[in-house]
Order: sequence, then C-alpha cells, then structure tokens
Amino acid sequence: MRVGMFMNGARILLYPRFVAGLNNYKRLITTMAGKGSCPLITMQPSRGLIDEKFQITVKNLLPGQAVTLHSLTQSEDSDFWEAFGHYVSDGKGTVKVAEDVSLGGSYDGLEPMGLLWSMKPVPGSRPGLRFRKKDVCTPVVVRIAVYTGHIGDGFTEASALARAVTERSYMAPGVCRTDIRQGGVRGTLFVPPGPGPFPAVLDMWGGGGGLVEYRSALLASHGYASLALEYLSHSEGQNAWASQSLEEQYFETAFTILKDHPRVASDRMALLGLSFGSSIALRLTVYSKVVNPRCLVCISGSHVQLVGNSISNSFHEFNMNINGMTRTDDNNNLIWRNLILPIPTEANRKVQVGRIKCPLLLIVGEDDQNWPTAESAEDMEKMMEAAGNRHLLTTLSYPGAGHLIEPPYSPHARASNFMLFPQRTKVSLLWGGETKAHSYAQEDSWQKILMFLEEHLYVSPNGVPLSKL
Amino acid sequence: MYGVWEGLSQSIHACTLPRFKKTSGIMGAVRNKSAQSTAPLLTATPSRALVDQPIEIGIQHLPPDKPFTVRSRLHSEDGELWEAFSHYRSDQKGTVILSRDQSLGGSYSGLEPMGLFWSLQPVGVEGLRLRKKYVETPFTVEVSVLSDHVRSSDSPVGCHVGQGLEEGAVLAAVNVERWYMAPGVRRVEVREQGLVGTLFLPAGPGPFPAVLDMWGMGGGLSEYRAALLASHGFVTLALAYCGHEELPGPLHTVNVGEQYFETAMGQLDRHPQVCTGRVGVLGLCFGGYLALRIAMEMPNISPRCVVGISGPGGLGINMTRDQTNDFLKENQKLFRFDEQGNVIFRGITMPSNVPPNYKLKVESLRCPLQLIAAEDDQCCAAIECIDEIEERLGAVGKSGLLTRIQYPGAGHLIEPPYTPSVRVSLFHTYPKKLMALWGGELQPHSVAQEDAWNRTLGFLDHHLRTD
Repeated sequence: MRVGMFMNGARILLYPRFVAGLNNYKRLITTMAGKGSCPLITMQPSRGLIDEKFQITVKNLLPGQAVTLHSLTQSEDSDFWEAFGHYVSDGKGTVKVAEDVSLGGSYDGLEPMGLLWSMKPVPGSRPGLRFRKKDVCTPVVVRIAVYTGHIGDGFTEASALARAVTERSYMAPGVCRTDIRQGGVRGTLFVPPGPGPFPAVLDMWGGGGGLVEYRSALLASHGYASLALEYLSHSEGQNAWASQSLEEQYFETAFTILKDHPRVASDRMALLGLSFGSSIALRLTVYSKVVNPRCLVCISGSHVQLVGNSISNSFHEFNMNINGMTRTDDNNNLIWRNLILPIPTEANRKVQVGRIKCPLLLIVGEDDQNWPTAESAEDMEKMMEAAGNRHLLTTLSYPGAGHLIEPPYSPHARASNFMLFPQRTKVSLLWGGETKAHSYAQEDSWQKILMFLEEHLYVSPNGVPLSKL
Repeated sequence: MYGVWEGLSQSIHACTLPRFKKTSGIMGAVRNKSAQSTAPLLTATPSRALVDQPIEIGIQHLPPDKPFTVRSRLHSEDGELWEAFSHYRSDQKGTVILSRDQSLGGSYSGLEPMGLFWSLQPVGVEGLRLRKKYVETPFTVEVSVLSDHVRSSDSPVGCHVGQGLEEGAVLAAVNVERWYMAPGVRRVEVREQGLVGTLFLPAGPGPFPAVLDMWGMGGGLSEYRAALLASHGFVTLALAYCGHEELPGPLHTVNVGEQYFETAMGQLDRHPQVCTGRVGVLGLCFGGYLALRIAMEMPNISPRCVVGISGPGGLGINMTRDQTNDFLKENQKLFRFDEQGNVIFRGITMPSNVPPNYKLKVESLRCPLQLIAAEDDQCCAAIECIDEIEERLGAVGKSGLLTRIQYPGAGHLIEPPYTPSVRVSLFHTYPKKLMALWGGELQPHSVAQEDAWNRTLGFLDHHLRTD
C-alpha cells in the first residue's frame, strides 16, 4: 500500500468508522483462545540518548509465531523512514530483539539496534534524502510495531498486534544550549550540567555548510563542553560573511571563545572534524599559534589542501576542480574522491602532519566515495613515520563504511542531495558505504572517539592519563 | 497510518522533554579556572527513565581513596525541596559506582543503588508527602558529588584561590528525569455517567487488559500509579470517589454508591481498546476495601482479579452518605495519638472493632486476590484483616484464590518503587490540621515498595494477559 494514499485515508478512519472497526477487531481477538491475546511490546529504556542501546521485547505471542517488527519515524522535513525485521517467537511466545536473530527484512542476524540503523525512506519518498535532526531540544520519536507473519509492506495502523513508542534525544537533561554570536563567530555552545570545569571540543562539519548541532549536543551529554561551529552559510545574504569566515582567524577566535568560557578547562581542548572540517582541524593544529588542542579527531578527512594560502583559496581551488574531474555512478551520483588524487608530493599542497605534537585519531571509511580518506590516511602515516611522530597516530579503518560516519544508529544514506557552496546548485553526491558495515563503523568509531577524548582530556588527579586506547 | 501518526506525534509532544530554555547551568557560581584539572565525570544512565526503572550512577576521575558524598535533590511541584545524602569512598582507580560500592552512612547505608531516590526526605518543612500531580512531565532529580562526608544542604560551590576545595564543595552534577508516563501513553479525562476519573491508554491499537485504580480516604484524584500501569500495557482508569469537587458533596465523606463502581467497571470493560473480561481492580487503603467489595459483593460486575494494598476487610465506621456528622468526632474512641500528636487510625479497621454487618462477605469472593500488607502499618490493621480473610476463605475452600504478602518494617503507604516515603504526613486540614502516622522505616519500606510493585505487575500480567 502506498504511503501517500493511506495518509489521507487514515485521518477519516480514526473516528467513528475506525472505532467500529476496532470493536470488530476486539471481538475477534478476545475470542481467540490461549496465549496470543494481548501481545505487548516493552522497550527499555523508552527514552534514551541517541547513542544508547535499547532492549525491545515482545511478549504474549503464540509460541513459534512468525512476526515482523517494524520501526517508523518522521523526519523534520516530514519524510517517513522505516525498518523491519522478521522474527519467530520462542516457546513462551516471546521475541527479544537483543537476543534473537532476524531472519530477513531491512536487516538480518543478531542486531539489537537494527530497527534504527537500517531505516530507509519509505517507498514513494522523494529521492536523495538524508536523516538529520536540526532541533536538538526535542527527541526523535520512533514507533515500533509488531505484525503477524513475515511481511515487507502493508504496515498499517489497524493491523499491528501491538505498538510502542520510544524517544531518542541528542541532549541529556541539564545540558545547556547557548547561541554564540561573538567576535564574528557563529555557532552553538553546549555545556554539560554541573560546575565544571569541563574539557571542551571544537566541533566542525564539512563542506555542506550550515550550523549542525547534534553531535555537539551529544558530546555535552557525555561531559564535554562542545562548540558546533558554522563556517559556511547557506543564507543568500551571508556571502560576504561566508567568504570572510574561511580564514584561520575565524577558527582561532572560535577556539579562544571556547577556551575562555568560565566552565571550560582551558588546557583540556580537542578539535573534532568531519570531511572538510577535518582538513581545517589538521591545518589549524599544525600552523596556528593560537589553536593548541590536547588531541585531535579527524573523521573522513584529508590533509591535502593548498597551504601557505587562505583557507578560502584552498576551498575555492577544490571547487574549481569539480566539473573537470568528477565521475558519476550508474545513478548519476557524483563521485568526488578523485578530485585530490593522486596525493601530492609537494610540501605546499598538504598539511605537514609530521609537525603535529598531540595525539591524532583518524577515522576512515574504506568505501568512501566522496573523499580519498584511506589514501590520505596512508600518506599521513608515512609522513609521520618519516618525521618521528608516528606514535601519536591512531587510525581506525572500517571496511564497507562510507564518508558520512555519524553518531551511532542513525540511518545510512549511500548517496544524497547536496547543495554546492557557493554556487547554490543542487547535486546528488555518492557518499559510499554498505549499510550494515557503515552502521557498525558508526557505532564502533563513536565509542572509540569517546574513549579517546576521555583518555586525553579527562585526566586523573595525579596527572597521569589512563591506559592507551 | 501516517495521518494517525501526526496525531500521535502531537500527543507525544506533550510528554516529551520541555522546550529547552537557556539557563546558566545548575550551579550559580563556577569553579575557579586556575584549577588545572577537570571536574570528575558523573554519569547516571539512563538519564530519562520511568520511576520504576533502576538507573546506574557512577563517578570517575576522582582522587583515589578519598571520602565523597553523593547527594540527590528534587523540587516538588509545590516548590518544596527534598534531599538525600550518602557517604562513599573512591577506590584506587578514583571511581565510585553505586551498584558496586557500600554507602558508609547518610540517608541510607549499605549497597543501595537506588538509595538516592527512595531515601529523599523533605528539607525544613514537616508533614510533606511527595505525590506527582501532573503526570505528563517528569520529576527532575539533581544528582551531585561533593568532596568529603558532609550532611549540610547548603554546600558551597567553587573554591578559594590557593586553598584547595572547601569541604563539601560540589564537584559535579547531572540531572535525571523520572517519568510516570512512557512515550505514546495517552491521558484522557473521564467525566461521563457521573464518573470522575482519568483514563490512561497504552500506545497501540490494543485491545489491552485493564485495571481500575483507586486510592484511599485522602480523596481527590491521584493519577500517577495509573499512568505507570498504562506504561506497562494496561488500560487504567484512576477513579475518584470522594474528596473531589466534581463529585457529590460533602467533601470528606463517600457520597457515591455501588452503582458508581459498577459504572466504572462497565465503562472499562466495554472500552473499544480493552479486552472484554480482562479487567482487574487495584486499590490502596480504602481503595483496597472497595476493590474487595467489588470482588465480593457486586454481582453485576466480574473483575478477573483484584489487588488490595494496605486495605481493610471492613470498617468500624459508616463511611457512606448517611453519615452527616464529622466521623472523627464520632469515632474518636477508636483512634490513638502518638507522642507528637499524630493520629493512628489502625483501630477503625481492627477486625475486633468492626461490627459483623460492616464486614465484607469474604466467602463470596469470585476471583483471584492478592493482598499486600505492611507489618508496621499504623493507619490500617491490614495484617489482622488478611488473617481474618484468609481464615474465612479457608473455611469455604477458597484458599487457592488468595495470595498474601507482608513486609516487615514497612508502613502503610506502599507506593511505586524508588519513590520517597514518609513515616508521618499531613492527612487533612479540616476541621483542624491533622498529621497521620503511616509507620514504616525507610529502608525496609523501600524494599517493600520494590517487591510489591514487581509482584503486583506479575499478578496482573498473569491473570489479565495470559490464560
């Protein structure tokens, strides 16, 4: 059944006819003998942080009953995303998603969180979607339902045996969100509850631009003051501001604002970047006299860029290469990974990572189709080996993972719509990654990132950091 | 389906965390930044949970082998402060884990992972009882760790430059939310056919088993237990029967008859989202008496099972509409008062004080019955009542219907787990302020609450959900 049609019909069905239908349904169910009446879904916890695991249990099914578990959520853009798994209840009529194997659906195998990470836009959706939460003060609401049999569609309200709702939040209670509009810097600061002082993270996303808050909100929920920084604006009137923002001074100001915050431990700071944000993080760490992080996390990034020049020029040079060197896949998604290949050998075309003095964590998706992350990581390792600071480097490389390695359990998009900056043209980019492997990478890398940050930023009182990652 | 989803989203939104407001954080002052280390890392997981869900609280990156105090603080809906303290010592790695470590003293001692919640007590005001009025929002508990073993509720934040930390300085703090309603549970006010109540519906089409939920003679309409039951998959009707302005007056007597409860049970049974014939009754104190009366003396309705908590099998006074005089004045000979002047109501329900015609016809019990009682119940002679009920059921071969559970050291108000309890609280202010002695010691009472809730859910599940 196509979603669009049913959506309008359901509003009418809700009242008298729906209730009458429910009465008939009720008579049918209550005449059923034996177990299988009143099945129940429980979720623990029913309200969790976005990176928290949950336990879903379905009780009171018939023994050995084939059922489908289905998840559904609606994005802020009003698109619906869903996932489903096929299960068989045990001798007591119970299904436990954390312990039982899915026999098929949008995921299979033993996957406690499969109902979240394997979500895709429902059939009939607009193409090129990516699931992103803009308003971090409200949770993502997910409906979990169970249906008779192993089905792949027809997930209607009336035919569910049972339903539960869970809320997944980016912000823990007590995390404080503040708009930062200071010294020309635009960002959002998230500070954990409590007196502090807290270690802090300067959090930078990629060339898609805008102000993306959710990762910073989540970091603050784990005890880090985090500044989500906007450095490429989508707004028409902001072009003049936007080109100014791509200078080192902008990032240095942002770093200083964070460092000087009364609840931040000024000597316990990190940079965390994804994609172009990683490139900026590497550049600042090596060349800036102001930015001195205690450690550095670079996800899906590269050290390749024009140095000895402004960041804007580096970005614009890359932009100029797009038309010439882009390939496309069979679905006309743009593949950008070749734009900066081969990795240059000239010193002024890549950040001299041999000069890094703090621990560096690189996260690499081996199926990254947007950026040559694997090749860059390999080259960085060689440079650091030659320079004698290889011991500072940890590389986590994930087979089958794509470019957008995000916090865990968020849906994977192998390709999605992208707004080119500053041309403001819409394209479709191939990010890469196979969903299951990519989701594993998101879960594992996030845990490792949190451990890495804790190791280097939370120090035991005698000054000795915890054991190495 | 997706149109319904929109309505669902709206109803859920009422239950989600409120729109965040910019604040300056929990503490007014901030720590001196000249200190070069970070605050310790305090975690409470999950940070948003139902009130009957235990949570893990731990602290890392403390100085090893040092004394610390963990504190909880909560503001009631009336703005009153409740607080609990406990003393711990960090291990060699600088950690404290409440599910692993013994409390060395404070509001509780020993291995008590949830002690910070059930041992909360009001600060500075007497006679309070913690009850959630608005169940669509959570209680927020601030959990903090302080240096040293302290008891004061005025611990300073921050430190003096060059002098290290003040004793009892707050080192770290987090907020946890304790909810009575799971996401997706719907709240519906019921004002039909003379009923005054609130219906809670679990998420989903159903049909579901159902519970009629009633409290005691304090009156009014308490919704929180019903909301919690709905969060466990029962359609639950919290029913007011006295002390509510929308019910026939006067306020402090019961002015509704058996028909009222028959109507309530019938409404539940016929609700389109309720499994017909799968309705149970749960009552505390006088609500427990009513639950028994429904099971024993109202032939027109057939509950599938009944749970009575701290409830009598009969009363030594007439509580119905015929009573026009102040029942306390009339029956004072049955009350006692302790040294502080708190009233002990037990006498009214002592079987030996109850005229035979005021006792329930126990032999007519028609369904499984679980009776829960506290051995230090000073409000109701619940144990003695269960003894008599057990004897009378045994005489007619119906012992198999009865499950009895009793708890040493517990008091009258056996409420959902991990919630604070009090030994004494304000009962009413008319005609004058009167404090009731409920009984119970904190720690055994908390054990009773946790066990009684699990047993109640298990009993309801077994009799209402399975065959």
